[in-house]
Amino acid sequence: MMDNRILAENLAELYREAAVRYESLPAFATRKAELDWHPVSFRDLYEQGLALATGLIRLGVKAREHIGLFGDNRYEWILADYGTQLCGAVDVPRGRDITEDEMIYIINHAQIKVAFVETRVMLRQVEKLKKDLPKLKEVILLDPNAEAPKGVHRLQDIIKKGAELRARGDRRAEERIRNIKADDLFTLIYTSGTTGTPKGVMLSHANMMSQVKVIPISLTCTDRVLSILPIWHIFERVFEVFTISCGVCTYYSNVRNLADDLSNVEPTFMGSAPRLWESLHQRILKRVNEAHPMRRLLFHTAYFLSRQYKNSLFFLFGRELRLKPASVAKRVLLSPLHFLRWLIVTPFYGFFNVAVLEPVRMSAGGSLKATISGGGALPVEIDRFFNYVGIPVLEGYGMTETSPVIAVRLEDHIVIGTVGPALAHTEIRIMNLETGDVIYPNPKELHEGRGQRGEIWIKGPQVMKGYYREPEKTRETIRNGWLNTGDLGMITFNNCLKILGRSKATIVLLSGENLEPSPIEMRLTQSPFIEHCMVAGQDKKHIGALIVPSLEGFRSHGTEAKNLQELVDNPEVKKIIQSEIKKMISVSNGYKRFELLQDFRLVGKDFVVGDELTNLHKMKRHVITDKYAALIEEMYPADNSKAG
Amino acid sequence: MEFTTQLLYPIDQVLLAVMIFSIMFGMGASLTIDDFKTVMRYPRGILIGFLSQFGLMPFFAYSLAIFFDLPPAYAISIILIGCLPGGTTSNMFAYFARGSVALSIAMTTASTVLALLMMPILLEFYTEEFTRQISEEMMVAGTGAEFVIPTGNIIASLVLVLVPVAMGMFLRYKSPSWAKTAEDTAGFMGIIVILYLIGTAFARHSGLMLQTPAAIYLSAISVGLLGFLFGFWMSRLFRLSPIFQRAISLETGIQNGPIAFAIILLSFAEPIQSQMLWLAILYSTFIVITSSFITLYYRRVGKFDFEVYKNTTIHNRLFGDKYITHYPGGYLPKRISKDPSQGSIPVQKRD
Repeated sequence: MMDNRILAENLAELYREAAVRYESLPAFATRKAELDWHPVSFRDLYEQGLALATGLIRLGVKAREHIGLFGDNRYEWILADYGTQLCGAVDVPRGRDITEDEMIYIINHAQIKVAFVETRVMLRQVEKLKKDLPKLKEVILLDPNAEAPKGVHRLQDIIKKGAELRARGDRRAEERIRNIKADDLFTLIYTSGTTGTPKGVMLSHANMMSQVKVIPISLTCTDRVLSILPIWHIFERVFEVFTISCGVCTYYSNVRNLADDLSNVEPTFMGSAPRLWESLHQRILKRVNEAHPMRRLLFHTAYFLSRQYKNSLFFLFGRELRLKPASVAKRVLLSPLHFLRWLIVTPFYGFFNVAVLEPVRMSAGGSLKATISGGGALPVEIDRFFNYVGIPVLEGYGMTETSPVIAVRLEDHIVIGTVGPALAHTEIRIMNLETGDVIYPNPKELHEGRGQRGEIWIKGPQVMKGYYREPEKTRETIRNGWLNTGDLGMITFNNCLKILGRSKATIVLLSGENLEPSPIEMRLTQSPFIEHCMVAGQDKKHIGALIVPSLEGFRSHGTEAKNLQELVDNPEVKKIIQSEIKKMISVSNGYKRFELLQDFRLVGKDFVVGDELTNLHKMKRHVITDKYAALIEEMYPADNSKAG
Repeated sequence: MEFTTQLLYPIDQVLLAVMIFSIMFGMGASLTIDDFKTVMRYPRGILIGFLSQFGLMPFFAYSLAIFFDLPPAYAISIILIGCLPGGTTSNMFAYFARGSVALSIAMTTASTVLALLMMPILLEFYTEEFTRQISEEMMVAGTGAEFVIPTGNIIASLVLVLVPVAMGMFLRYKSPSWAKTAEDTAGFMGIIVILYLIGTAFARHSGLMLQTPAAIYLSAISVGLLGFLFGFWMSRLFRLSPIFQRAISLETGIQNGPIAFAIILLSFAEPIQSQMLWLAILYSTFIVITSSFITLYYRRVGKFDFEVYKNTTIHNRLFGDKYITHYPGGYLPKRISKDPSQGSIPVQKRD
């Protein structure tokens, strides 16, 4: 029995259907100890959710009302989401790292009267801001082990009250469920965004259910999903809903326990940000390099064979990255050669795949059928590495505004270097940045516009209703149903989407040359010595970079330091990083002359989430540019005589 | 078909000895004392495995010799192959065929030890008429006395092969990481040497492959296939769960080739040694190919029940032994839902 995901009109209905179909199967599991996890069944979750919904109705929550949901990954979060959906309300989620300004802005802007708050610490934060939050009436504490001060409800009490009411025949929750319309919101997500004040993205039940319907991944109740992304992030939420629809159990892990959890839970599927793959990649390489020379040789042989084997397969099945039109003659000539190579390599690959690569796969649990990487670009080396080793990484592309998936690689048709074809029912346009004309799909363009870069616009059932109470910003982003992603990309000749950077992050040099900072940054952060890096140089003669050195990288190199500042003050460190940059970014490596870093400055303070980084560890360029304006200016002396 | 010269030159014999040593050493390096304890955990599986390994396989080998009317040297060789204990590669194949690796390892361990007792008995029992044929031939040729199966030598060779196994186990006990290296290196060397031997045999005895009658090929190939087929049916008949069926099937068909080489080299002399060796080489070559295909097939058909088994097992690992997984009605096909254990350990009680 393959994929039989539940399709419903809205989330509440989906939760009900899942409870009926999957009953006592575990829906979510939380970790108490390494081998002691606590499961919650679909039925119990639904029952508790109904009780909570009834409790919320009793508290005065109206249908379509916005309920704050502030906290990170824990079972009670899911329960709060269930309760919210089942009483026809809308949740407004945000993680523990919310700043005070953001909290005031979001609660007031979204007109939140009732809010779930995860911990005592967050509760204190809310109480401190009380006078700035005039509309906030009721606060519910999620953490079941924390004491609730007077005037604050505890989640379990609300559920208990709701359950009592239901026992006496209260069916108001069911009535609320019946009245949910597909067009109603299910969540209002405030994006910290890489620019400006938070914007409330309005996502409807129809948005989310359209995703559940077309996500090209097959999961059943025998699958296990390990979750480490922030629970409230849209990328994670689509998985929450999708796994519920498929009857899959989600196991909540965290970065600290990830290695153990991978081998204990043996997940069959995982979604995560590129950072996880980078660290897993480094861990595997480290283990290989520390191994006995014989084993190292075996690994490299295996990797080499796998590369030969897979590249031939990719070629034969038209799955290589095709940025140029394919010449038929070349294909005809090369195909027999690739076939021959495949034939010769296969038996050896077979042995090495079994003996050497399988143990490597075991370090990721050994059962992964596929994984999705999203929320940022995956460096192509790492992408290749996992695909050659035999862990298929399906890179996806999306944003909160599109709830979130726009495109994702298909399990049986992975084209490395792309984010796959557009989802079903989703249209992609590539627009000329200067003229605003459609490049793709455009029959007048050469090859209908494939292989040409431009700004990505999309249209489909997943596009948000708009930004809450921001008609102006909504109009800027969505025109005639087409949403501007703000990303640059192109359509390859095998109809996949390739992302080429942010259109807004593009640096225009004084000379008029345009360059994308992220590929350079991504290259540099692969150095073990460089933790973070931001390229600057808008309207300057040349580019320069702010670099946060890696404490750990220098430690394993033998340079001990108590903190970053000590590293930054060490002249040796500067020399090492200088040579790293020279080595990585050079004309002979394929970089253009104006892409070479002429100067850099070391930053003695790490970039942190909530300040310089978004929750998904993307750099907030404007924040960093403002904060380190002086340091950046240092690289560009007023006389400009040294530049160029 | 007669061998005019020796099949193997001294250098090849040395290589073969090195291969046998390293493969058996690698086998030992993959074993721990705990594996012997696991044997006790699957008494039913081990018993059925024992029946198919030492009951079915020798019988099939004998039947093939009779059916194809094989020359006595080949007949003895194929019976020898039929009586061998399971090989270590079967554990790897069981893993990829989504079978029970624990059972496969337990069966390999048990059969290797039991072979010391079973092989001489079985060989004596099945080869009687073929040894008589050889004796008659030798009488006619006037080249010597009565031919008997060198039981003492066979036991001695078996013991000799177990020495590197013990050494490997000792290494594993001392340093698991070194043992892992040894295991992989041994596997790799095994492949290289086998390829070399086949290559040289083919090059020196040009036409040897063409001269070899179809009956020899067929028996070398089918002895493994029959093992796979009947090992599977037998365990199915006894209602073992699918993961055990697949493990027993592969374990039955895949024999420990290196032990055959060792016994043939150490216990038998020309003129029959080369012929026996040739059949053993053919078997070892074809078994890799056939078991690869069987594994791919099992992997495909076993996908569903293995995923159910795995999921159920992991639920018990994480949620406690008492946790019972109920799959939705109609989700499990009858084949699995009727199996009280759903192929899982510990046994889950169903209502």
